[in-house]
Amino acid sequence: MENSLTIKNVSKFYGSFQALDKINLAVPEGQFVTLLGPSGCGKTTLLRIIAGFLSCEEGEVYFGDRLMNDVPPEKRDTAMCFQSYALFPNKSVYENIRFGLRMHKVPKEQHKKLVEEAMEMVNLTGLGSRRPYELSGGQQQRVSLARCIVVRPRLLLFDEPLSNLDAKLREKVRVEIRQVQRQLGITAIYVTHDQAEALAISDRIVTMSAGRIVQNADPRTIYERPNSKYVADFIGTANIIPCSVESREGDRFVLKCAYGTLRAIDRDCTLQPGAQASLLIRPEDLFLAAPGSENAITGTTRTVVYMGNVLDMFVDVNGTSLRAGITKENVVTENAPVTFAVKPDRIRILEA
Amino acid sequence: MKGRKKRFQWGYLLLAPALGFILFLEGSALFMMIAQSLGFLNYTGEDAFTFAHWQQLFSRNFFDNLMYSLKIALLASLICLAVVYPLCLSIQKMPGKKTWLSLWKIPLFIPALIACSLMGNIIAYNGALNTVLLALKVIDKPLSLRNDAWGVGALLTQVWKNIPFMLLILYSAIEAVRKDVLDAGRNLGAGRVRLFFEVTLPVTMPSALVATIMTFIKVFNDYTISKVMGPIYPSTLSNLMHKAAYTLNDWHSAACIGCLMVVTSIIFVKLYTWLSDQITRRLS
Repeated sequence: MENSLTIKNVSKFYGSFQALDKINLAVPEGQFVTLLGPSGCGKTTLLRIIAGFLSCEEGEVYFGDRLMNDVPPEKRDTAMCFQSYALFPNKSVYENIRFGLRMHKVPKEQHKKLVEEAMEMVNLTGLGSRRPYELSGGQQQRVSLARCIVVRPRLLLFDEPLSNLDAKLREKVRVEIRQVQRQLGITAIYVTHDQAEALAISDRIVTMSAGRIVQNADPRTIYERPNSKYVADFIGTANIIPCSVESREGDRFVLKCAYGTLRAIDRDCTLQPGAQASLLIRPEDLFLAAPGSENAITGTTRTVVYMGNVLDMFVDVNGTSLRAGITKENVVTENAPVTFAVKPDRIRILEA
Repeated sequence: MKGRKKRFQWGYLLLAPALGFILFLEGSALFMMIAQSLGFLNYTGEDAFTFAHWQQLFSRNFFDNLMYSLKIALLASLICLAVVYPLCLSIQKMPGKKTWLSLWKIPLFIPALIACSLMGNIIAYNGALNTVLLALKVIDKPLSLRNDAWGVGALLTQVWKNIPFMLLILYSAIEAVRKDVLDAGRNLGAGRVRLFFEVTLPVTMPSALVATIMTFIKVFNDYTISKVMGPIYPSTLSNLMHKAAYTLNDWHSAACIGCLMVVTSIIFVKLYTWLSDQITRRLS
């Protein structure tokens, strides 16, 4: 499959501050790729370089085989959904969506059909005559999406488009975004700092930190097999504690840590016995077990929070905190002894 | 059941300063002007209702002055508008834009008489402009621009004096156009010029309208610049009014001219508003 977007050694400086450091990225056609990272990690800068709003001091940006570094934004065939929607305040919903068609010189007689199709895709039918200020946040973001997809761009760009919406609406609109992108098969680059959003929406997640790509993988790999403490900690909740490798037999390890001695199976780990490492256990991988079971961890519950779908617990294990999330059918009280266990293949060993 | 007496709302007193200003200072002047135009409140003692002053007013002299005032006001406000938009857009992208803005505001603080002297030096028979044009062989003899019959001197001075005023209003309006909205436009295929007509112009139209109307009224009612830089005849209505009141001691005619200046200003404000609505609608 041809790459829609290829980024080679892209660096960007703001004065003496380096916002991007030799970024390399290839995005195959039709994929939904999320740039994920905390504020200031360079994800929006990278997106703006792709859109052509910013230039890069080093490196190249290719759309297909075409070098785009000197191509202005209006000639790049991209369309961006902004966090603030960025609708034209002087135009109606219909005219906002039609704008791109006019700029791309699509024959006038096709405008009505294309705009109505786009409006239907994002559930905006009947709102064409409204002005942006007459719409809710969710509706405005849908207009923004329709305005982008109506021109069938080569690249669909999203700059934290759901940040201004409430939690429930965010979930709804992100599903719609994904559906529309799949339906049209447009390559999408999506910027967010919300890891749940990234996991839910992406084909691939590019995790960034301090202007660099830390891990580029599919959501399952990113969540279950993070390549560093940084990614493990940033994506979801995690118990990460120091450990030492006691022994190794192929991909089977015996680890010693504050939780006790645990057995782990990790095919990616290259560490040898005697090495210092970090151990990752996701809270939902822990389950209640009888004392003495394999990989048993015994401690005292400190806080038990009923979250609706799970019980979220903080447990004190030999002075170290352990977070566990177990199904709500279990009955666990605070300040009571409790034993959990974890399957060896659910433990991930990371470099210290 | 007896209706409850409505209590006086003391909060209304907060309106007093604004209402007092309008009713007392502006209302009383307006009342005096209308009354004097109808023959009342004469400073010299005669005090009787009459339309005679209005009948005398509509002479060739008056219409020449009216047309001249309209021409200078209309041209000055439109030229300022045409200059200020590109000026704002270029200042926005300049390094050290605050310094540039401060420099452009200087004419605001220069009195009209000084501005006339400055422009006079530039456009005088042997002034800078003629010297440069002669040196470049654009013209073969110096242009007579000061106190010329067409009013070029007055027009140039008005433009110079009013650009900063318009800049002040329009620059903040243009700055307020959200950058992401412009980015969205470029992203969807609009070049900078197209984006200006599609987004910046319609969005800033209300401010442009205010700036244009205020400049129009300022120039239309101008006395000093027309007196010093404009033609001997015709002149602005303010000059005609001054002549009627102080040279001819005819305060009733001066009041009639004042009334017509107010009416003309109102008509033009309405006209500008209608025009800008049409433009905004077309651009939306």
